[in-house]
Amino acid sequence: MMNMIQACAPIAQRRPADSLLVATMGAMFALDRIEAELGLPKPANRINAVPLMGGSAGIGLGLALAQPQRRVIVVDGDASLLMELGSLNTVAVQAPANLLHVVIHNGAQFSGLANSRSPHASFSFTQAARNAGYRHAETVDDPAAWPARFSALLAQDGPVLVDLMVAPMPQQTGPGFEQSEMPDVQFERMGQEARALQAFLQGTS
Amino acid sequence: MTDKHLKDHSVPASRYVAALRQCGVGHVVTVPDWVQLALHARLEAGEDGLALINTCNENQAVTVAAGLTLGGQRPVLVMQNQGFYNCVNTLRAVCLDARIPLVLMVGQFGREFDNLGQPATASRRTMVRLMEPLLDILGIAFHRLDATADLPCIEKAYAQAADTGNAVVVLVSAPLAWS
Repeated sequence: MMNMIQACAPIAQRRPADSLLVATMGAMFALDRIEAELGLPKPANRINAVPLMGGSAGIGLGLALAQPQRRVIVVDGDASLLMELGSLNTVAVQAPANLLHVVIHNGAQFSGLANSRSPHASFSFTQAARNAGYRHAETVDDPAAWPARFSALLAQDGPVLVDLMVAPMPQQTGPGFEQSEMPDVQFERMGQEARALQAFLQGTS
Repeated sequence: MTDKHLKDHSVPASRYVAALRQCGVGHVVTVPDWVQLALHARLEAGEDGLALINTCNENQAVTVAAGLTLGGQRPVLVMQNQGFYNCVNTLRAVCLDARIPLVLMVGQFGREFDNLGQPATASRRTMVRLMEPLLDILGIAFHRLDATADLPCIEKAYAQAADTGNAVVVLVSAPLAWS
């Protein structure tokens, strides 16, 4: 079992500069934090499918088909993928060789806020991906092994799914620690990132 | 109800495909639609330059089309009205909030043939009559493909989607002709 930072740091640090990354909300916050701590600029080649649980695999598939010369990494969540489990089939039928599908498997919704239980915490995403027709699927739970496995899996022909066993973030809400209002940026950033991504792909960013 | 009445509203699939090509469409992202079966048959048989992407539901169709659009391609979405109802939240995120332009060809599945040429809002069926009011509420512009002469509305829809950074819907009224 690894923590969220251990899961996302190798992705932020090791992915190629010309790769494209699509993330769901939990990974988005971790990637924001990692990039800030490393003093990295906000990458134009990352878009976060928020607020839109279940949407990242489809966006990643579309990008992978449109940009076959680039590696596309989808960082999904377990509860998100369960919402659109059929996307495994949609991806597998198109069989994009340049797609790596990472699942943050923490068994929780609103990880770090309330850690509500996801519908099926022990669901086998690797088995589902194999049944759908992914070229390769494996589980990684060792944080020491993950960085090298990430690079290796990204280099191989996809679609590849990796199920990362991740501990939920420490819970922050509860009596006396009620959730605060969602800021506007939460509803605007996907659009801002979409325009930055298009400029990046057109070579104008 | 006469055969002629239906034929007046039934657009030939060959002309429809030609209109898509004219717009530079390269990918058809779809969950099949009863109204547009003649289009699906053509695509499944193979149409040069038109890649067919079948998705498991309409939410995936919207997100795949969004990814294609961001990646520089020009897809069209094909679905039926009940599929549109299924993917409203995804359209909210992708088009209304993130301003990714998409064009959707939405078949009015369940429309009574004697309602053709009449307002769809006068249909006896919620499936049909809710569509236009819902689009108005969502702030999504729409066109009606009621006859072959309306085909230029597809090109208008692409221009409108690009200008507004939003989804634009073309409502396909009658079953496409298999010619």
